[in-house]
Amino acid sequence: MKCFVTVAAAATCFVASAAIANAEDVVEVKYWTLKNQGLDEFVAQAKSSFEEANPGIRIIHEDFPNEAYKTAIQVALNGSEPPDAFFNWVGEDSARFVRDGLVLDISEFGTEENGFQSMLTEGWISSLRHGDGIYGVPMEAVSKFFYYNVDWFAEHDLSVPTSFNGLLQLCRDIRAIDADIVPMPLGNSERWKLNHFITMLNERVVGFEAAQDDYDLSASADDLFTDPKFVTAWEKVLELQQAGCFQDAPNATAPELTRAMFSSGTSPMIYCGSWCAGIFDQDGFTGYAMFRMPAVEGGDGADDTNFVLVQGYQVSAQTEHPEETVKWLNHLVSPKMAKAYAEIMSRVPSNPELLGESDALSEQFKWIANDVASVSTPINVLDVLLENSVSEAYLDAGVEVLNGTMTPQEAMDKIRETALQAKSNL
Amino acid sequence: MTARSEQTTVSSGTLTYAAMLAPALILMSVFVFVPVVLVLYGSLFQFSLTDRQWDFAGFGNYARAFSDPIFWVALRNNLIIVIGSIVLQVGFGTILAAMLDRGITVGGTLMRTIIFAPMVISSVAVGLIWLIILDPNVGPMNVLVSAIGIAPPRLGWLGDPAFSIWVVLGVAAWQYTGFMMVLILAGLQAVPKELYQAAALDGATGLRAFRYITLPAIRNILIVAVLITTVGGFKVFDLIFVMTKGGPANATQVLGTYIYLQAFTLGNSGYANAISAVLLVIAVALGWLQLRTSRKA
Repeated sequence: MKCFVTVAAAATCFVASAAIANAEDVVEVKYWTLKNQGLDEFVAQAKSSFEEANPGIRIIHEDFPNEAYKTAIQVALNGSEPPDAFFNWVGEDSARFVRDGLVLDISEFGTEENGFQSMLTEGWISSLRHGDGIYGVPMEAVSKFFYYNVDWFAEHDLSVPTSFNGLLQLCRDIRAIDADIVPMPLGNSERWKLNHFITMLNERVVGFEAAQDDYDLSASADDLFTDPKFVTAWEKVLELQQAGCFQDAPNATAPELTRAMFSSGTSPMIYCGSWCAGIFDQDGFTGYAMFRMPAVEGGDGADDTNFVLVQGYQVSAQTEHPEETVKWLNHLVSPKMAKAYAEIMSRVPSNPELLGESDALSEQFKWIANDVASVSTPINVLDVLLENSVSEAYLDAGVEVLNGTMTPQEAMDKIRETALQAKSNL
Repeated sequence: MTARSEQTTVSSGTLTYAAMLAPALILMSVFVFVPVVLVLYGSLFQFSLTDRQWDFAGFGNYARAFSDPIFWVALRNNLIIVIGSIVLQVGFGTILAAMLDRGITVGGTLMRTIIFAPMVISSVAVGLIWLIILDPNVGPMNVLVSAIGIAPPRLGWLGDPAFSIWVVLGVAAWQYTGFMMVLILAGLQAVPKELYQAAALDGATGLRAFRYITLPAIRNILIVAVLITTVGGFKVFDLIFVMTKGGPANATQVLGTYIYLQAFTLGNSGYANAISAVLLVIAVALGWLQLRTSRKA
């Protein structure tokens, strides 16, 4: 018995020490993402191939719903155990972490042949460049289009508008066909839907260059958000509403419902993100095509710009394994994984190298990918681009303008007041 | 028993009490007292969740709160929910309890179960269910009110700033009236039947009996119900967060959601701490009132 106990104890010690030694050899990379449809499948595939090629690295993936993530990531980055790599929206959200010293400059990593700096174009990388540093790896871009029901348009002899006035007339024409049909439902219950409209209307009316100093609060206090064209952009929202483009209660309508209205054929158009294509496909509706926000007559915008929001991964400044973490991010943006990302997630990846070889991608997805690639100046969405309080003012103003409780001029007065306050706090 | 052994017994008794109280005191310290001190301390600084440097602001955050119109909207909405909930939840709860106690002889248990059922559903689920019911495009509420000849609000039940807080109040009442009913019903059932019999001999029946016998008899229960509702009205967060997130344009903002907005969306953690401190003062005052009233009861 004594002998048995001794042998058992020795065996236990051996197994335990072997396990400890093994654990010491394996580097764990903690990786946080949003909870998105299809992402689990993609990450499982990426993780499996990565860990097979890199047996010394283990990926620990955790995902969060949108709202929970925004809170969790801020707390975690200041805590003792932040994720090594984490998802972020490129804009004020990513820039704030850079300013606060919470993310790592990874410009010295990923320069090898299979590194992200070799695989991605400078246009993509520059979206996360601040000063001389690179503070993340861009993974994908989302864009925004008017989707329309091709058969319905053909049946009623409707054509794609080439100007904003044409868009207004299209709404009137659809209402003339059947007054109960909502030409393009707007689900603004979460406020960001109209923000996407005003993002592009600002570009089409004010122009990208002219708005930059206001957006980054570098304009003088006397000039900040005083360009009357900002008011004109809001007036365009009212013109859309008056032309009957939207339903009666956009601020009480969920975005999910409006997508269902389009994919079920109830509405013939919708202004929706590039991610919507995958949703419509899954709903079984594939008879759609897209067009960009048309030019506004008399506006200062450029036709070849469009809404492009880059999303990617940043690396915590506290990471103990920057090399392994960037290695994992290199793998995510490799041609093979980028192709898988597009196929599984229906998202436009930052590395399009193998997209042409895919048989699984729809024609509409390929159109979106080409369109994103052809954008001369990417227009970032206001709720990601602007300082938080100014962004909040824009979101609230959208609700009030739609409700008729605020005029476009009052909306801009309120936004200017908030922007002045934010500028004084800088 | 000698003086020494008496002293030993006393000290061992004190030790026992201390040992039994310690876990609760430690938990209270970690989860209540320390956070309270941190909130009060943080309210004197300007910082965000991601800032490593805190800038001393003195009472600036409090001054900002009192000059912030949305803070007052949030406080006003809390008061609307408190007063509205007392009227709807305690009021209807009392009426329903009286009906079940004395008016309904068949199916009382079934009705009690049906009325109480919403209470056992989480507020998040309740919010999501009502979002569908109130949807202006596909929700049954618009169909229902149109069927009885009333025009539904053009901007939607939750999209119209003039309506939305009252709609949320109604949903909260739908969820919690059952709880109030059960609480008050328990009080009603403890009222001796002889009192009613004696009152009936004196000619007091029906509403007069309710006014002069039932209400005084359940006075303490009603006070507790009002206090529970009041505290709940100031704590409200989940239902509003799910249904409106404080919108449209802050029309349904309450202190809880405004604290969340400032801390986690706008990155004004110091300001959020100051609003939390104001809410804390209100909560402590209500807690004190509740304690005082229950002791009297």
